Amino acid sequence: MDSKPTQRPTPRANAYVDTQPFWDATRDGRLMMQYCTEAQRFQHYPRPVSIFTGRRTLEWRPVKGDGVIYACTVVRIPGPGLDGRLPLCVATVELDEGVRLIANIVDCEPDELAIGKPVHLVWDALSDGQPYPAFALSRD
Amino acid sequence: MKQKDIVIAGYAETPVLYKSGRSAYDFAGEALDSLLERTGIDKDLIDGLSVTTALSEASNPFYAVYMCEALGLTPTWLNLGGMGGCSATGGVARAMSAIRDGSCEIALVLSADAPSTDWRANYGAFRGEFQDPPGVQGPPATFGLLMSRYAHQYDLKPEALGKIAITQREHALHNPNALSKFKKPLSMDDYLASRVIADPLRLLDSVMFCDGANAFLVMSEKRAEQLGLTRVAYPVAYSEVTNVNGNQSTPDITESGFDRIGPALLRKAGLTPSDIRMFQPYDDFTIAVLMQLEAFGFCAKGGASDFVLGTDLSHRGALPLNTGGGQISAGQPGLASGGLNLAEAVRQLFGEGGATQVDDARNALVTGIGVIPYARNWGTSSAMILEA
Repeated sequence: MDSKPTQRPTPRANAYVDTQPFWDATRDGRLMMQYCTEAQRFQHYPRPVSIFTGRRTLEWRPVKGDGVIYACTVVRIPGPGLDGRLPLCVATVELDEGVRLIANIVDCEPDELAIGKPVHLVWDALSDGQPYPAFALSRD
Repeated sequence: MKQKDIVIAGYAETPVLYKSGRSAYDFAGEALDSLLERTGIDKDLIDGLSVTTALSEASNPFYAVYMCEALGLTPTWLNLGGMGGCSATGGVARAMSAIRDGSCEIALVLSADAPSTDWRANYGAFRGEFQDPPGVQGPPATFGLLMSRYAHQYDLKPEALGKIAITQREHALHNPNALSKFKKPLSMDDYLASRVIADPLRLLDSVMFCDGANAFLVMSEKRAEQLGLTRVAYPVAYSEVTNVNGNQSTPDITESGFDRIGPALLRKAGLTPSDIRMFQPYDDFTIAVLMQLEAFGFCAKGGASDFVLGTDLSHRGALPLNTGGGQISAGQPGLASGGLNLAEAVRQLFGEGGATQVDDARNALVTGIGVIPYARNWGTSSAMILEA
């Protein structure tokens, strides 16, 4: 396998629904998610409607970015966009706001990765420097 | 309520091959040829067609119509099954409805795919923005996440997963259609030494994408009798569910669609778990088999590791498991995968199981799984009970 750092191109925003608020906020170091104003709950990934109501009762709100690891794995096999990133710590993070996202846990050894550990939002960068949300273990 | 008016009156399956260099159409043609040879029926009697979407032809939205042209069929009922590994059992169920509605009389349920030769699928949607950047492109990472959560909430013994892999491999040794690469026995040491690819998932927990096809002929019992087709299997109950807990942001991801549909399916067939003579579950990963054992009530939630370790799952055992080797040991023919487990069930119910024939093969439970979602369980769960 090629061991040079991977190319992680910045994906095209708004490819399937309006995701511009998510991308705009990354530049201010804020993580924005869709919030259903009727159900008063967050959802992620972004959808064309609220998964709770089926209506477009949605707005974008920031989340704090504190949570715990709900599920985790260490990707050890090559794949597209993974060159130079293995072993790669991946987690489903459950945020305090009651919503989950899949993210990398950075600065983490594979044997440190465990369900239930508290994590906080940090910013990783895609190839062109575009900030992308990731998490780090909250030590202490 | 259990109905026994429609039958699967023929099946065919091609060998599973890796990088065959052939197309889904070509595999479909081989399966049809074999089906016509085995049943002796005239091709032009087929007036219904259900086709499973193929990874290798996914760029063509008119794949099902092209398939009709390729095979010289003129169906009055056409269905394109887009539920991956649920499309074979789902295709049979939809064909049964179509036959009962009078839309067609004899339906071909066909699944063919050749992703190890040509991968032309692009899932699009949210994946580019939200799933690819963290590196969760493939099923192993998703199943690693799922397994980790199962192991956190319940008892997951690697030896139980190993026993599933070993038992199925033993069965595959007797399956002439199984991928040749898998024609060697496995030991527990082999399993435990197998490379971890997405913790805690091992390589030997996983399927390998291959090429292949399978086909089933569905018609009324009466029509089968008229055609002199005496070997039949009755699909007596079917259930499916997609996007289970889809209106929740934080569901328990160890709950699969099978937890929702399993008990009711058995009731529909008038059976209890101990009445099931063989279990042919969709097996993209060993953990999926484990979780399904619990969902259908073969054991309590969280008890599958001990159940597997304490139960003979061989074709001679109390609960014969994937007697053709399953996808893990026969190879996964892309999205035609669900038909592999179904073909083995029908083969057994026809009494054509050969060296792994189950005694008193009076019924079988077959399942399908389709699509890896974002931070959830799996996409579609389908299950069918068939009787001889």
